[in-house]
Amino acid sequence: MMEDIIEIKNVSFKYKGSEEGLLKDVSLSIKKGETVLLTGASGSGKTTIIRLINGLIPHYYQGELSGDVVVAGKDIRTTELYDLAGTVGTVFQNPRSQFFSVDTDGEIAFGPENVGLAPKEIKKRSSTISREMKLEPLLGRSLFELSGGEKQKIACASVSALMPDVILLDEPSSNLDWNAMEDLKESIARWKAEGKTVVISEHRLWYLKALVDRIIYMNKGKIEHEWSRNEFAAFDENEVKQLKLRPVKLEENFIENFRNGRLSGHNVVDRDSQKDDIVLKDFYFAYDQKPYFFFKHKLSAEDGDMLSLNIPRLALPKGKVIAVTGRNGAGKSTFLRCVCGLEKDCKGVIEEDNQVYKGKKRLKLSYMVMQDVNHQLFTDSVESEVLLSMEKEDTARCDEILSELGILEYKDKHPMALSGGQKQRVAIASAIGAEAKLLLFDEPTSGLDFAHMEKVGELLKDLAESGKTVLVSTHDPELIDKCCDYVLCIDRGKIIADD
Amino acid sequence: MESKKLTPKDFITVGIFTAILLVVEFACGILGYIHPYIVASYVVMIPLAGSIPMMLFYSKVEKFGMITIMSIIIAIMMFVLGMGYLGAPLIILTGVIADLIARSGEYKSFKKIVISYGVFSLWVCANYFPVVVTADSYRQGLLDEGYSVEYCDNLFRAVNSKTLLVLLVVCFIFGCIGAFVGKAAVKKHFEKAGIV
Amino acid sequence: MSLKLDPRTKLFMVLVVSTIIMMSATTTLQWIIRLIITLIPIGLLIVEKKYASAIRFLVMYAVALILMLRFLSEKPDGLIKSLLIGYCGIVVQFLPSIITAWYVVRTTKIGELMSAMQKMHVPDGITISLAVVMRFFPTIKEEYASIRDAMKMRGVMLGGGNAFRMVEYRMIPLLFSCVSIGDELSAAAITRGLGGKVKRTSVVELKLKAADYAFIFIFTLATASFIFFKYVK
Repeated sequence: MMEDIIEIKNVSFKYKGSEEGLLKDVSLSIKKGETVLLTGASGSGKTTIIRLINGLIPHYYQGELSGDVVVAGKDIRTTELYDLAGTVGTVFQNPRSQFFSVDTDGEIAFGPENVGLAPKEIKKRSSTISREMKLEPLLGRSLFELSGGEKQKIACASVSALMPDVILLDEPSSNLDWNAMEDLKESIARWKAEGKTVVISEHRLWYLKALVDRIIYMNKGKIEHEWSRNEFAAFDENEVKQLKLRPVKLEENFIENFRNGRLSGHNVVDRDSQKDDIVLKDFYFAYDQKPYFFFKHKLSAEDGDMLSLNIPRLALPKGKVIAVTGRNGAGKSTFLRCVCGLEKDCKGVIEEDNQVYKGKKRLKLSYMVMQDVNHQLFTDSVESEVLLSMEKEDTARCDEILSELGILEYKDKHPMALSGGQKQRVAIASAIGAEAKLLLFDEPTSGLDFAHMEKVGELLKDLAESGKTVLVSTHDPELIDKCCDYVLCIDRGKIIADD
Repeated sequence: MESKKLTPKDFITVGIFTAILLVVEFACGILGYIHPYIVASYVVMIPLAGSIPMMLFYSKVEKFGMITIMSIIIAIMMFVLGMGYLGAPLIILTGVIADLIARSGEYKSFKKIVISYGVFSLWVCANYFPVVVTADSYRQGLLDEGYSVEYCDNLFRAVNSKTLLVLLVVCFIFGCIGAFVGKAAVKKHFEKAGIV
Repeated sequence: MSLKLDPRTKLFMVLVVSTIIMMSATTTLQWIIRLIITLIPIGLLIVEKKYASAIRFLVMYAVALILMLRFLSEKPDGLIKSLLIGYCGIVVQFLPSIITAWYVVRTTKIGELMSAMQKMHVPDGITISLAVVMRFFPTIKEEYASIRDAMKMRGVMLGGGNAFRMVEYRMIPLLFSCVSIGDELSAAAITRGLGGKVKRTSVVELKLKAADYAFIFIFTLATASFIFFKYVK
């Protein structure tokens, strides 16, 4: 007879100093061995529930808590976090910032070391987990060398090492590409088979469809719906969209097509070139260059397989949104960086509007909104950010730009005080202020819920309509479907055409 | 239930800011290879450049021990990186004193923090200890072999045991100035953004 | 053939080298001892296959040493000559400890170092902070590289000619980033049991072996003879 391993009774919670993510009288029971999915819009309270179960609330995050939370017989309020470590394990959203060690072996052993297990036992657990999760190729390496998906795998291993009964995952797929998500799915399947209770907070649902037993939908701090796996599977795409959830079938179909080489958009390579196209020529780049004495060897197409980027010629349509897709490591980021002019050693040339842009001039033509927008915000007010980009400071024009993007009211606020979406807009405002003609976006929707993703899509469309050419590097099929006119596919540094 | 015991989060905070401070020291240190006289200007550059992260650190310190541990780690790192252990007593002593001074103001009084950071900054002078001790014994060795006094003085003009006292004072002063500079930056950004 | 020395042995070597170079070498014998303790780390680097750095250090040391000894015999006149000797003197003086430090840093895994600290009864808190310092260096490098790219792209590398801005644009985003990463890191660490009442164990098991004792012996002997010949003889 399955008992409840997690009991949340009439819990209300409000974070100190914030109205976001609060809970209003929530009650939830989860049975031992169940796999539960928590979903809903950003700020609906999903993460707050995760934090209640693993004890970060109230021991790490302060706020007003009422109600009871009992996990495996322990009252979360009176149990210290280190006593919970053997019972509840959490895999967090960002692979980059959840590891404590520098190397993979150390990371897997981290948990057991903390609770004082004997070295023999730790070694035994490590080798069991490595075997089960097929971690051989990752062992003995620096975590900084690994890809996002590989890091997330190690994070899962590290959590497994403590052998907890309950495993929580907080938006674990946000920064992963599709292959990495398959690996994640396998890890969850394994935990399920081991009889563990798994609770996942997620926006992207397609990879969990077959695994979950129950789906809980939250809205504004309350549980609004509960469905079983089959009930949810019966929904059609419209019903899913109504709930503002990311469409399950669309994502699956897109990924199917992509894997089989059938692209779901117009391939940018297949169109007829126009006169006002932006033309990229001679984009060659390699990360590991051969050692040289005085002059760097000028790269060309003859360098073939050594090249990380190999694009002899590419014509981009002006004023359109072009998606840049490809597996992780295929060269998407390299491509964006070279186009932007950040890689000095890439001597590619861009022709636009009868002007030729070489070397440093390329920096003026393009502007990139990075995946981590925080790295490109430097000043203490939104207005200053935009003015910083302008050759000649023009406050009137700045106001114009800000109001077009709907952030004029935040003019004097510090950029870091804004939400992620608002920060993105500040970066875009700076791009417009810099009068860049080519706008590059690196994964702008990773981790966003459906509603926010739609907003980004509309924004990109507006930018294209105003005459900018937009390149978006993305894994998000829904985004591509929504706003991209063309698709550019990169594999191993080369552009792939439809067969 | 205010606990005065240091938590893992405190240790991690100390680790992060110590890393940043060491990076600042390393970045400034590289400039010293260009010209030995620049080495003397470490006492100006490092307290100033390091003031921004340190003032942010101070705003997070609420318990005794964090500043002390930071100086212990700096001493350890200096040793491991081959700069000797002569500076260790200076670094740790100034760290403890800085911690005590800041504590007397409950880690909130800015006046006390200015002085605390001034004292803390003296760790920079530990960079000179190997040179000074070396210089003195080297100098002695040269004198023993018959070189003139002028020659020896010329050799180590910028940094020797006589100028060390001056450097310590300059270091302290720029530490105090740095506190104001750093605090202004913290106010401008971190307080405005609501992070502090 | 790889020589795996215990981190404690390596730290002892650093200690010895630091001590010896503190005392000036005036007689030939003292110089020979100095040379030996300089060559041993270089030798160890070669054993650990770090050829590039070993050769670089060897060349640097040899050149500086030769220059210094050559010009030292002449009476130095002129600014350039004395600056040159001064420079070479500094290199000869400090290179041994830098080489040893380089060897230690390049060949010791952080897990080993932590374990060594534990064995030496360093309090857990300090060990944790030290681990975080090591873990954050590569992170700072990554974050800074990204920030630099952003600065390049926005054309503010020189802060518009303002020295304060130059530091501000680099430091402020870096601090925001590090603080945010630090918060996430702490949460992930304490949910995995960091900070418990139990004493931490280490999966790395350290034991002093024959090679360790050999090196400890050699270096102790070096120090002892140096001191003997300098102060006693």
